[in-house]
Amino acid sequence: MILDMLSYYKMIKKNNINIIYSGPIWSDGIEGIGGTLRKRLEFDDMPLSASQSVFSVFVEQMNNILMYSADKEPFPSSDDRIFDVSKGVFILGSRDRTYFIQSGNVMRDESVEMMKNRIEHLNTLDKSELRKYYKEQIKSENANPESKGAGLGLIEIARRASSKIDYTFTPLEDGLTFFSMYVTIG
Amino acid sequence: MVYKLEKEKTGSTPYIMIDEEKGYMRFEGESFHENVIEFYRDVSNWLEEYLKTDFTEFTFDCELKYFNSSTAKLLLNMLLEMDENAGDGKNIMVNWITTEDNDIIVECGEDFQEEMNNLKFSLVIN
Repeated sequence: MILDMLSYYKMIKKNNINIIYSGPIWSDGIEGIGGTLRKRLEFDDMPLSASQSVFSVFVEQMNNILMYSADKEPFPSSDDRIFDVSKGVFILGSRDRTYFIQSGNVMRDESVEMMKNRIEHLNTLDKSELRKYYKEQIKSENANPESKGAGLGLIEIARRASSKIDYTFTPLEDGLTFFSMYVTIG
Repeated sequence: MVYKLEKEKTGSTPYIMIDEEKGYMRFEGESFHENVIEFYRDVSNWLEEYLKTDFTEFTFDCELKYFNSSTAKLLLNMLLEMDENAGDGKNIMVNWITTEDNDIIVECGEDFQEEMNNLKFSLVIN
């Protein structure tokens, strides 16, 4: 099947998209896409605080996908073992020196309520409350070594975003839901 | 046998140097590897044992330009452990080295500093 690249190209252009990544997400991949992202931010000549914020949101979104994606694919590791990697999609766009960052992944229905509640709660807090909450959370997670730190990543995203965290949960079949999150920076 | 460790930095992990004889540890670069706990395991294992020994001076220079939230958690854990063991003849100095325009790292340094009671935590802003 040959895809109609021109219509993709037009769609990407029309939506002010700079980078799209869709596929397996693993550590070296995060490094690779992160490198491309950094180059793009350098090119735009943004102040360090803005580019660090974009990068940080990207890293935490990737970690969120690693942790929650229910769409996995076998992938060979550097030591020749095969392991399952999470799949997801990531988009960076910009308009008038404001970036928008969007990520999406398939997740299990049972995690939806928790994720939604966390985001809703974060959206009620202002920047200084988020800073305080991050600190409380990092300490309580340290007291509980079993925790994988998922909550912390979301708080970090909320802290760096200029907007509230926008999100959608679209029910799919077989106990799965497509989750997408959208924030702007700048 | 005094412990020595040197790890070159990679795209998502920092340069790490430990010189037990000099009572010195240094992190430099960026830290956002997916599995930070595994990456820092030998460092945290060494630190845990070292802090129990009878040293008089220990310096930790932390010059990270960017780190993810899992690294933040791990760093605070190490700092709290250092803080618990500081005092009673054990002087611990932490230099949190960054640049003025790196708001994220400066803020984090301020927040971590507030948690320290016994060690000397300095924000070094260049």
